[in-house]
Amino acid sequence: MTSISSPTRQDKGGFRALLGRFPFLPALLILVVLLVLNGIFEPNSLSFRSLTGLVRTYLALMLLAVAQTYVVYAADIDLSVGAIASLVNVTIIVLMQHWGGGGLSVLAALGIGVLVGLACGLVNGFVVAALRLQAIVATFATSIFFTGLALVILPVAGMPAPTVFWRTYGGTFFGIPFVFYAAAALAILLYLLARTRLATQLLAVGDGQQAAFQSGLPVTAIRIGGYALCGVFAALAAFCITGDTASGDPLVGAKMTLFSVAAVVLGGSALSGGFGTVAGSVIAALIIGLINSLVFFAGTPSHWQNFVQGLAILAALMVGVLVSRRGRA
Amino acid sequence: MTKLKLSGVSKAYGATLALRRGDLALDTGEVHVLIGANGSGKSTLCKIMAGSVRPDAGEVLLDGQAVTVSGPRAAQALGIGIFYQELSLADHRSVAENICLPDLPKKNGFFVDREALLEKAGRYIALFERVAGDSLHATATVGDLRADQRQLVEIMKALATEAPILIFDEPTSALDRAQVDRFFEILRDLKSEGRSIVFISHRMDEIFAIGDRVTVIRDGETVGTEAIADTSPEAVIRMMVGVQETLATPQAAPPSHEASHEIALTVEKLTGLGFRDVDFEVRRGEILGLGGLHGQGQSALLKALFGAPPARAGQVVLNGQPLRTESPRAAIAQGIAYVSGDRGRDGVISGRPILENVTPIHALRNRLVLARPGPLSEKALPALKALNTKFAGLSHSIGSLSGGNQQKIVIARWLIDKPDILLLDDPTKGIDLSAKADLFALIRRLAEEGLAILLYSSEDAELLNNADRILVFNGGAVSRELSGADRTRYNLYQAAYEAA
Repeated sequence: MTSISSPTRQDKGGFRALLGRFPFLPALLILVVLLVLNGIFEPNSLSFRSLTGLVRTYLALMLLAVAQTYVVYAADIDLSVGAIASLVNVTIIVLMQHWGGGGLSVLAALGIGVLVGLACGLVNGFVVAALRLQAIVATFATSIFFTGLALVILPVAGMPAPTVFWRTYGGTFFGIPFVFYAAAALAILLYLLARTRLATQLLAVGDGQQAAFQSGLPVTAIRIGGYALCGVFAALAAFCITGDTASGDPLVGAKMTLFSVAAVVLGGSALSGGFGTVAGSVIAALIIGLINSLVFFAGTPSHWQNFVQGLAILAALMVGVLVSRRGRA
Repeated sequence: MTKLKLSGVSKAYGATLALRRGDLALDTGEVHVLIGANGSGKSTLCKIMAGSVRPDAGEVLLDGQAVTVSGPRAAQALGIGIFYQELSLADHRSVAENICLPDLPKKNGFFVDREALLEKAGRYIALFERVAGDSLHATATVGDLRADQRQLVEIMKALATEAPILIFDEPTSALDRAQVDRFFEILRDLKSEGRSIVFISHRMDEIFAIGDRVTVIRDGETVGTEAIADTSPEAVIRMMVGVQETLATPQAAPPSHEASHEIALTVEKLTGLGFRDVDFEVRRGEILGLGGLHGQGQSALLKALFGAPPARAGQVVLNGQPLRTESPRAAIAQGIAYVSGDRGRDGVISGRPILENVTPIHALRNRLVLARPGPLSEKALPALKALNTKFAGLSHSIGSLSGGNQQKIVIARWLIDKPDILLLDDPTKGIDLSAKADLFALIRRLAEEGLAILLYSSEDAELLNNADRILVFNGGAVSRELSGADRTRYNLYQAAYEAA
């Protein structure tokens, strides 16, 4: 008798355990479904070329989603990731232009770009964790501030990126597109970051700030660390935006901020903190990308595209939440 | 030899004085028991030692040197580890990560050394191997564990600090006998290593089994310290009680009263989350007090009678009819009223006018569709007037009132349509003294008007002065009933502290 009933229980426990370890499984499932749907509407969309294009376009959103995930770990939020990306975008464009657009000047500009992102993250961390302002409002305010700086640096969109920069980003090495190297590097970086003390400490802070404080964790420093990490990844996202668009635009990142939050949730992380994975956020960023391309391939009239996009993202969120709930119940 | 000495330590939270004058001298190699009634300041004293609360005044000497424990990190650096009564665990993290959280083993500067983490955590888990249950292992998620296992993890976390001074603030409340025995074995080992241990428990038998000395705290002040060998449970309780406060004239109605009034509520073998097999009767006109230490099932019982959440087993009869308590909605319809001390969460509709705060129950019981201010005001005003509520106008926000008057508004809510049973769940929490006296006068009057009242209060004096009978809860069950002249502080403490 027990031998009959135990396997099913084991299965359920197994699924739960699996979901506990890989909370992004629902997102992965949705990703596969979307790939199949894309293939049905436009077989060409599954070609190597199209997939490369997809990654090239959405690598920036993946990085922004990763950036957002680290602050959400600690139950914070950063509504300025898009603005940071814009600021870094115009900063490196102007610097590369100023320094003549050679290979060295590009590298130097990228170095400065990372520092700008880091500085923005530290500012956010300072106002939220040290001054104890509400994260959602404080980072909204800093986002306006960062956008303002970007507009001072480059008042109008359109300054082109040096050829060497966007050629590299869109180029191919040994038959493999550059963006795949970048994606692989990102994967390794995320793998390493997941094993740092900071990642565990961020999650512990997100689980309960009071408990973390009482455990002797330096809560303020940890939260600032989360924002700093977020700023750096927003800068990396800016590099991808710049590579993809090949120009500077002080407002380019703004519309991506809330997509990054949506990706974090879709990827299975809890906005209340303490629980989540960066892998989920990356997958979810791809889901958002695939939804956009699916809407296009399905031949949706252009004035209906936003409407359908919104519905599709809602549906994806619902499926994700339902599957997770079933697993946890 | 004195390891840690606190003298004249005090702490106030706003107007509430949590600790008036705390003194404690902790020796090397002893288990020092702290005991005191609800809210006497034990936990505050522990938190001051552990750095999570900063004292307003007083001196802390460690090995004879004055030190400032500026935070939990500083306390760890000074060699002070603590078990928090409310636990300090991260629910989504693994057992191993929680045990080592204060000091995650690292390698190459940035990374968590997983092997060292599992090895270190494994050592502490092994200490409780036979009593913890299979599901407690290094990689289990803490949120999935049972209450007793979570408490064991918090113990392991405190032990893992390897601090010379260890503080345990009620570490045994959820543990079973075998787990407590094992824990005590470990404590004895630590003691023989020369560690200094502060131990809080409400179980007298545990205190006398493990303690070397006992310090009694009463109303935020250290009363005295005795060697366990030279004292007895009765003597300790007498120290906790202090000079027997003269009770207000017993307000219990004369015996004839009981006979003349009908039984309003009968509870039989009621069992739910946090209480079990509770039996009692309440008559109309009676105030039945629920006493004992915090969290022994009193609040849980009141909430269960209100259906939030319902009890799991047992019978409740109201006026001869079985009471359905599947939800608060059903309970309200049958004439049950519930007032919580947690006004912010359970009572006040913040930011809304007084009128809206007085009328929701009336609207619910009469299934009102329209909320017309005129007729509603006519209902609300007499109810408020009966309670002597001070307010400028019905349209003013409830936030403009003092805590005591807010609570009166919440009580008035239930009085527009007279209920049969009034459940008061620590109703005077955070209310100033004169408002308290007002409220209790009002509660007595409501009883005289024929309501049956169940009163839980975390302040023993309130129960002793206001309840006609007191059921003392201990470990989720009623351990004793006090009535008439038996209603003394001594009897209350004795019943509350004896082994459950």
